[in-house]
Amino acid sequence: MACTLGLCVPFIYSQAQSPIDELLMPKNEICFLLNYEYGQFDQYWEGDFLRENQTIATVQRRTAMVMAAYGISDRLDAYLGLPYVSTNSTIPNGGKFAGASGIQDVSVGLKYKAYESTLGKGRLSLFGSLLFSTPASNYLSDYQPYSLGLGSPQLAWRATGHYEFDQGFYSRLVIGYIWRGYTEAEREYYYNDGSFFTPWMDVPSSWNIDLTVGKWFLERSLRFEISYSNQNATSGDDIRAYNAPQPTNQVDFSRLGAFAQYYFSQVKGLGVLASINQVVSGRNAPKMTSFGVGITYQFSLKAK
Amino acid sequence: MKKHLQKYIILAVSIYVASCSMDLPTQLEFESYEFASIDENGGELNPILISKGSEITVSEPNDITSAEYLEELSEVKNRIANKSDQEKRNTRQWTNNPVVRWNEIALELIAKYNLIPGPNPDGTYTLPTPSNPQGPPSFPFAHPPYASRVLAYLSVSQYDGLIVAWHYKFFYNRPAPYEIDSDIEHAYVAQPIPSYPSSGAVVARVSKEILTTMFPLEADYLARMEEEHLEALLLSGENVPSDLEAGLDIGKEIASIALERASLDGMKDAQVNKAVSDSIADAAFDRFGWKWINLESPSRPVGLTPLFGKVKMWNVADVKDTRPPVPPTPGSDLYEEDVEILKNYAANVTPERRRIANFWQDGLGTYTPLGHWNDFANRYIVEFRLNPLRTARVLAYLNMAMMDAGISCWDAKYYYHYPRPIQLIEGFETIAGTPNFPAYTSGHSVFSAAGAEVLAHFFPSLATQFRGWAEEAAISRVYGGIHWTFDATVGTTQGVNVAQYSIDRAKTDGID
Repeated sequence: MACTLGLCVPFIYSQAQSPIDELLMPKNEICFLLNYEYGQFDQYWEGDFLRENQTIATVQRRTAMVMAAYGISDRLDAYLGLPYVSTNSTIPNGGKFAGASGIQDVSVGLKYKAYESTLGKGRLSLFGSLLFSTPASNYLSDYQPYSLGLGSPQLAWRATGHYEFDQGFYSRLVIGYIWRGYTEAEREYYYNDGSFFTPWMDVPSSWNIDLTVGKWFLERSLRFEISYSNQNATSGDDIRAYNAPQPTNQVDFSRLGAFAQYYFSQVKGLGVLASINQVVSGRNAPKMTSFGVGITYQFSLKAK
Repeated sequence: MKKHLQKYIILAVSIYVASCSMDLPTQLEFESYEFASIDENGGELNPILISKGSEITVSEPNDITSAEYLEELSEVKNRIANKSDQEKRNTRQWTNNPVVRWNEIALELIAKYNLIPGPNPDGTYTLPTPSNPQGPPSFPFAHPPYASRVLAYLSVSQYDGLIVAWHYKFFYNRPAPYEIDSDIEHAYVAQPIPSYPSSGAVVARVSKEILTTMFPLEADYLARMEEEHLEALLLSGENVPSDLEAGLDIGKEIASIALERASLDGMKDAQVNKAVSDSIADAAFDRFGWKWINLESPSRPVGLTPLFGKVKMWNVADVKDTRPPVPPTPGSDLYEEDVEILKNYAANVTPERRRIANFWQDGLGTYTPLGHWNDFANRYIVEFRLNPLRTARVLAYLNMAMMDAGISCWDAKYYYHYPRPIQLIEGFETIAGTPNFPAYTSGHSVFSAAGAEVLAHFFPSLATQFRGWAEEAAISRVYGGIHWTFDATVGTTQGVNVAQYSIDRAKTDGID
């Protein structure tokens, strides 16, 4: 999860051997990803009203992430990820708030290939994945827009359909339901369309859809893809007028992205990737622009 | 492998189910309870707004053997026998201490309206005004001074109304319907409190009237709350319609006396224009050589309610009697020591300091520190099983003392006009929001100390705890980076001092 303004944009995992793509690790192989993402926004939707706020000026967010993917079998991968996040406002700003930094949520997951067969002039594969994450430090979720994350356990159920033509064109649809639990604030009262006399906040769950089209080049050592992502929260309140967001907000957004990945043929197992994403519409979401770069290294754990 | 996957899915589902069931309380959880005392002589207490309980006239009720009464009784009996599950829940939810429930309604509206107006597209700001409550910005902005005043008028009116009700209850001694007819189901705990006039109806009407004036856009909501509450009173088995009518009349009369006072207390002049605001700042600069300025972007032309310090106090004759001494001059040794302390806190946000800063922050969008202390009061009122009269008494003295504390604090704030840390320490950043008014003294510190002293008076076994909380609330603002330590420590002393005036009055009010 990459999170801003309270407004949590599901982390894209740079889409390399991620729980949401179509790639699977061969059995007993492991892949490490080191990814860095920079995001910023100077506008956000307060309810459905797009606004600026000089109290926070431009909010910057940096996420460094280490992730490992491991092939339990040729059909089942396991994932482990841990991001470090830092946030701040640009200076000058009217609020003079300190930013935040620290370890965000640890995530563990599984991806299973349920089906694969040739269909027409290509191959269709279907996947199911499950990703659980939970805060790995005592960061404060109720400190928006600088919070590192939503501070709640999350469980993402995803179904992925991937169709790839023999020439290398492909298209992928991911439908996910992200259940989010509760986060504990450090205050014992908050307003969420009414009084709540508790530090616990209900973080809305959401439906998420990602639609991707892409193509492999250079004998499958390079791929390029563009994607459209959408999140619809199933509950939650709106950010109130000129007020800080809070974890109970209903965060909806649509986002366009581009992604490229290259595997070096000279160095076996080494790859690099780059991504760019732009949130184009939303509700209680930041109009976030982000760039990411990453490096992957894959090798077998079994002695040859 | 499939087996493993299944296991994980089962684990995941059980996590889902387990965490799904959290019950998030939207009000203090309690049910009808037996009061620690009945206070048959409660009608002789000294009220705040009127001279004595018998000052308001309540006519003699029909005798319980009269045809009129028997008709009322059979109507109520019939309605109770046929009440729906929803009506039962509603009746239970109002409980036999609705003073707490109406206090919670006030807290909720404070939180709903505690939103600072943002800038217009051209960088100007528009102030909320009762002449155009819709706005934008909507009226009111329920900031801490506003909240202190809402709660003071609400609680004082409830208290006076209940003194009147208590006076006539034990004067006319009309039994409750459930006592007259044992077939009438009683929703609450049986206690020997006469039913005429209905204390619940007094509370409902007085609260609705006060809150509607304070939150004009909530008129419909409050009318609905009153209606629900009156319904619950009839369905509880404690009242017949004529009990309610007599209570409503008392409520209306007390509310109009309270609102008359409110209209003349100076609050309507508390928010000044830029010319007046500048002259207040310049006067401080001439006097002391410093002045606070707003650093927001775009800068707000006027601070929050500069003349709240001139609002009529409840129990202090002259605000200047409670004005604290001059704070340390910027550049002095004392001041520089404070700068070092603040820089150290900012550089070392420990989990404990962060927790304290957030726990007591009670900032924009919340029920404010006033709400927090009312919230505490409600918990102990229920724990100590106070009856509605004693509940209103605690809340009236608490909220008078806290409003007086706010007035005293605002007097100091705009007399000294002392800058905030972000204004004087280059590059300083905070973990709490810096408010739109001068630093010295800290509002949280003064409000909390006053609140703690009053609660310590009424719940002496918990005095140490309350005072400890007030000190924590005070230092929380220093941890948050928005106050100097002397804002907090001097503010605490100021709050203790101001509260004493209310406590002295409470000591002579004729009970205990």
